[in-house]
Amino acid sequence: MARKVCIIGGATTPFDYGPTGFESIEGGAAECVKETQQDIPNFSLRDLDLMIYSHFSVHFGHQLAPEWIIHDHLGLVGLPHYRVENGGNTGGSALYAAALAVMSGHHDVVGIVGWETMDSVSQSQASEFIALASDTRYELMVGGIYPIYYAAMANKWMKENKVTEEDVATIAVKNRNNAMDNPKAQWYRNEHKYITVDDVMKSRLISYPIKKYDCCLMTRGVAFTVVCSEKYAKKVNPDGYVTVDGMGLSSCTIRAGDRLNNPGWKERYGPGYPEMTEFGACRNSAEQAYKMAGIKDPLKDIDFGEIHDAFSTSEAQIYKALGLADETNIAKFIRDERTSMHGEIPMNPGGGLLGYGHPVGATGIMSTIECFYQLAGMIPKKHLSKKTEVPDAECGIVNSHAGTGTSISNFILRRH
Amino acid sequence: MMSQVVVMKNKKNKFAEEPVFTERKDYRPDGVKETGLAFVGHEISDDRTVMNQFLHYDQLYTIRHGWNSKFFIGLLDGKILGTRCPKCGDTWVPVRTHCWNLDCNLQKTEWVEMPLTAKVHTWTVAGWSGRSSLKRLPIILVYAVIGDSKVAIANELHGINPWDVEFDMPLKIVFKPKDQRIGAVTDFHFEPADGWKPSPMNPEKERIKKLVEPVYEWVKTLK
Repeated sequence: MARKVCIIGGATTPFDYGPTGFESIEGGAAECVKETQQDIPNFSLRDLDLMIYSHFSVHFGHQLAPEWIIHDHLGLVGLPHYRVENGGNTGGSALYAAALAVMSGHHDVVGIVGWETMDSVSQSQASEFIALASDTRYELMVGGIYPIYYAAMANKWMKENKVTEEDVATIAVKNRNNAMDNPKAQWYRNEHKYITVDDVMKSRLISYPIKKYDCCLMTRGVAFTVVCSEKYAKKVNPDGYVTVDGMGLSSCTIRAGDRLNNPGWKERYGPGYPEMTEFGACRNSAEQAYKMAGIKDPLKDIDFGEIHDAFSTSEAQIYKALGLADETNIAKFIRDERTSMHGEIPMNPGGGLLGYGHPVGATGIMSTIECFYQLAGMIPKKHLSKKTEVPDAECGIVNSHAGTGTSISNFILRRH
Repeated sequence: MMSQVVVMKNKKNKFAEEPVFTERKDYRPDGVKETGLAFVGHEISDDRTVMNQFLHYDQLYTIRHGWNSKFFIGLLDGKILGTRCPKCGDTWVPVRTHCWNLDCNLQKTEWVEMPLTAKVHTWTVAGWSGRSSLKRLPIILVYAVIGDSKVAIANELHGINPWDVEFDMPLKIVFKPKDQRIGAVTDFHFEPADGWKPSPMNPEKERIKKLVEPVYEWVKTLK
């Protein structure tokens, strides 16, 4: 029988573009560990028996195997370590790897450090670096960067689901305004303003129907979390640990155009799915996670989520892939504000990628940490107020998302 | 027991026929050169506690197209080559050298010449892009299905106003003049099929027009 997997804590550096206060990656990692130790004084680096590093692109740091620098800096020489890279789902995949390590019984206490330094090149160059994770032979050269691929998918999805530009703009507004309660969020630290749907609608065109404020932020940031056995969790954080009750990981094509008639999906869900509109890997990995965690009705059984809102449009598409709504009611689901703080399933109370930021390798870890804080009752301590606390949260979902939906993971976390 | 070790001295052990490259073309733009690693400057804060250093790194890559080469050579010849599985008949552009149906067990595919016609599957109008594409903005990017391909290929749509692009609109494939082709997907683009006329202006078209107009102005300011 697989062992129960727990999370005992974690922290991020402030997320920023330019100076964060912890400019070196290894220094940032050290500060994240120290903040975690302030929360859980009984946690010692000596307890770790595996380190997993979560980092997307060595292009940004101009350093191959940068995890070795961090590992040395943390004083962990001798401890096994390796790096996980899986596009935007790097963080989720690192969490998946850590959970497998604990579940198997082979490791007891696994640390994850995730980071990205996307401000080492200009924003347009950074867009092109990220687009190197598309098929460079076919897509990069035809003006392709990720927002354009997502826009092409979202344009069709929105028409088919009768979701408007204003509808998805409400998601951008929600997450950015949530971030205004989070002192580590990039939106809080930089733009620092509450926005409206009108602001989103008037922001510059990125790729129709996506405007600037529909897009997540490019970020410098580091995150750290500890995944462990229940025995260890009970020892160091008996009152505050969280269990990973379900997890799923799935894949889709690298080129979005290849999923119109893909035999892999046809076998699983019948013809015509996921098309270029739905996130099949999100649906598939959510189904795995729900099954493992005994989730029957996600809308009822899950209290909130920290999900991969790389674009406001993709958060809307994710609602559907998670089974929170279907084509008959997705537009109404958004208009009824069911994912806002006063809704029945608040999404991205921490600000998400649109508000907190998206330093790729750190992002899934940040989402996990925010989910952990909610379940451990730590939001009043970590955020500026209780406005972004989900009261009495028992169950949260963490979602991490790569490529054009090319790799997606979902995790069900519960207060123990 | 020790296994036998064959030592081959001064003789290249060949496991595959080496291609003989007889046609070579250079089209290096001015200012593109391999410099390798070069620190090109730095800055230090007024209190001398923080330093940023500027590193330039430029490297020549050889993209070996290998078994996919015919597609890219086809572009030089003004042809779109696809591949087809001889077992199940599925056809693809972008190409696959082995079939994707697990029942066909990675069956090697055959090359087929595709028609120079396509249909828009989905589209977007880009007002922002990667560094190499900024001056071409706004770009209409379509995912279009060429002939009986099972997949859609991304490329630019030229020859219409950005707000006039439509789902399912018929397209033709237009190649650059032969001397400007480089064997990359940028050798061709899509244009509306002959005889296609855009539908009248509507609120969505007006909205896209409004979003795109500042992009034209912004591009004029780029050096």
